[in-house]
Amino acid sequence: MRTFPLHLLLSLGALLALGGYASRLGFLPGAWVGAGLGLYALLVLWGLRFGGRHALLGLGLSAYWFPPMAFLVPLLYALLFGRALREKEQAALYGWALVWPALALLLVWHVFPTFYAFYLSLFERVNFLRPAAFAGLENYRILLHDPLFWKALGNTLWYVLFTVPVGLFLATGVAILLNTQVAFLGFYRTLYFLPYITALTAAAAVWRWIYHPEFGFLNWLLGTPGLDWLNTPKGVFALLLEPLGVRPQGFWAGPSLAFVAIMAMSVWHFLGYQVVVLLAGLQAIPKEYYEAAELDGASFWQKHRLITWPLLSPTTFFLFTLGLIGAFQVFTQVYVLTPTGGVLQDTLTLAFYLYNKGFRDSDFSYASAIAMVTFLLILVLTLIQRRVLERRVNYEI
Amino acid sequence: MRFRPGALFVHLLLLLGGLIMAFPFYWMLATSLKSPQEALQAKPIWVPERMKPSNWLKAARLGDSPLWGGLAPGRSVELVFPGKEGPPPRALIPRTPGAFFDPRAEGTRVEVVYREGAWRVRLTNTTEEAFPSLPLVVLWPKEVPLQAPLPPDAIRSQGEHWRLEWVNAVPGALGYLFHNYLEAWHAAPWGRYFFNSFFTALTQVAVGLFLAALAAFALARIPFPGKEAVFVLILATMMVPGEVLLIPNYVLLARLGWLDTYYALIVPWLASVFGIFLLRQFYLSLPQDLFDAARIDGAGYLTQLFRIALPLSLPGLVSYGIFTFLGAYNALLWPLIVTQSPEMRTVQLGLQAFVSEAGSDYGALMAASTFVVLPVILGYFFAQRQFIQGIARSGLK
Repeated sequence: MRTFPLHLLLSLGALLALGGYASRLGFLPGAWVGAGLGLYALLVLWGLRFGGRHALLGLGLSAYWFPPMAFLVPLLYALLFGRALREKEQAALYGWALVWPALALLLVWHVFPTFYAFYLSLFERVNFLRPAAFAGLENYRILLHDPLFWKALGNTLWYVLFTVPVGLFLATGVAILLNTQVAFLGFYRTLYFLPYITALTAAAAVWRWIYHPEFGFLNWLLGTPGLDWLNTPKGVFALLLEPLGVRPQGFWAGPSLAFVAIMAMSVWHFLGYQVVVLLAGLQAIPKEYYEAAELDGASFWQKHRLITWPLLSPTTFFLFTLGLIGAFQVFTQVYVLTPTGGVLQDTLTLAFYLYNKGFRDSDFSYASAIAMVTFLLILVLTLIQRRVLERRVNYEI
Repeated sequence: MRFRPGALFVHLLLLLGGLIMAFPFYWMLATSLKSPQEALQAKPIWVPERMKPSNWLKAARLGDSPLWGGLAPGRSVELVFPGKEGPPPRALIPRTPGAFFDPRAEGTRVEVVYREGAWRVRLTNTTEEAFPSLPLVVLWPKEVPLQAPLPPDAIRSQGEHWRLEWVNAVPGALGYLFHNYLEAWHAAPWGRYFFNSFFTALTQVAVGLFLAALAAFALARIPFPGKEAVFVLILATMMVPGEVLLIPNYVLLARLGWLDTYYALIVPWLASVFGIFLLRQFYLSLPQDLFDAARIDGAGYLTQLFRIALPLSLPGLVSYGIFTFLGAYNALLWPLIVTQSPEMRTVQLGLQAFVSEAGSDYGALMAASTFVVLPVILGYFFAQRQFIQGIARSGLK
């Protein structure tokens, strides 16, 4: 026996209402909506063969004026008439009715904007109030010759390369120490975790104060007689940073160390999150493995290399991916610590450049081009990472 | 537990790391209690004067009430400087810089007399209004040994005199301790900021949770046609970084006329891919027998969701709630873009504006940072387990 595709009818009706609204806002040519309406009318006529009640309730025309209605209509319909349907129909109707509210929001605020960003990036300098000329890939061509973009890209890559591995390394160390079942676990966990729930704005304000070139705590610390070997012209910092092309100076005093300071602060901020997640991963590893290894006479390092590391790899992989995506979008720290982008735009990152271009210079198309390039970079890196790393991830416990 | 020699070393290591993690918090708190003079010392001050209980007792004796001080109309307060007789000190009420007319400076009568082994500075409010705070400067001859009734906020040399400055000569114990907090609180409409932040975050949590639960249940428990397609779409959405959405969503909000409203702060982030995933994972882990039994007893899908799945997935709901709340409360970039008027700004924006405007008033700045992070940290201490588990759960595969 054939079942009536009620869910299809309701879903299309909802989509059509959304399309109508989109065309009213000027995102969609009215002709498309008209064509959709015609198609829908045909479907309704076909649906009438199965019994008029279902088909007539399909379209909430009111949704044209109040779009959320479109996605509540299936839910209301399911509530009112769901019980009377056959089992398969019921499942289809309920499934779509429950999925629609969230799915519609995703379509409107995530899926559509992704394409729209690309569309915007193909036009000459737009801010959405003005019509603009189609420019093809011109924005991307300009982008490739934009020294500020390359600076932002370089900074961002440097940030990713530094904060993600260093953060993970430190967090793994702390998590392994915490997992040795020492006393005061809760106390230590709280110590390491608090920065993460602290708003970045506030944390950055505090660090800005700690880094202050004249009255900051850190410059005092580096200048105290016992520690000045760190920061003198021949000190440890100079030794480490000069090969990277960075001249160490007082924090914040010169351009070069500002970005290092931002990176250090970011590692501090996200460490707690990584520790908590890694600790959960560690605690999921059965104790028997370690006991067996101990019986076989494995050393501390052997246990960690042969048991902890492989079994923790899914968690590490997850944190790595997440850290990578997050690090590419670093904005808040940079914005609060150096609101103007630092001396000579020294602390510019991709997200910050996007913000500057889009919302200070109101050049939405160029900013969209930056966004698309970032997206592409993240996508490529994630794919490479999946290819290279995921093969080594061990999903069995 | 048997004693392990390594444990002491582990504790030392963890404690050292923890101290580094916690130091910025201590520094924020300590600086928020410093006077301007103390904050701007090149050599850091670990325990500011305002943190010392003996000074609270002294402050409690000054002003109308022992807690918050102040000087009511017609009332007077006497500051006692014990010491030898010599050239008389001079006392004056400084005018706020840039103030055309300052009632406190115009309306306070100042008398200085020597009686019973002490110089007494008597301040009388001759106006019709009460002064919540009263700044005071005393020029103290250098040849007379000095014993101030309350440690001055700033002391500097001025010719033959020491120039002693108090931001408030009638503080009361709490007014003395929290002077920077009062100042920071009155510098911006923080009440409104807090309301906006909480309203935005809580609405996002409540509505987002509801929508995510509906969708997750359908994806986990209802066999409906098109389920795989929906799931792939949601997966794909996860690959798009938030950066890409900034500009298109801004355009969309502008066309809807929603800029600078609560809609702009809340609606775009209501559908959460993370939430749908997390809850779906929970629903998948519930045994199918449970739902079969309910089905036999005549429960429809909605009953199954609200009576069985939702109550059993409480930990997942809490995780989602915490994550969403943290994200919304701590967000800076999105509110920065979509709001303009002070009435719609959130706490983080208020703080950010404060950071760039406060100049060298680091005490007030740190005070503002403290009360911005306080709600979340208090929440953490009340619901530690949920916080930790919620975060740990995000790393489950």
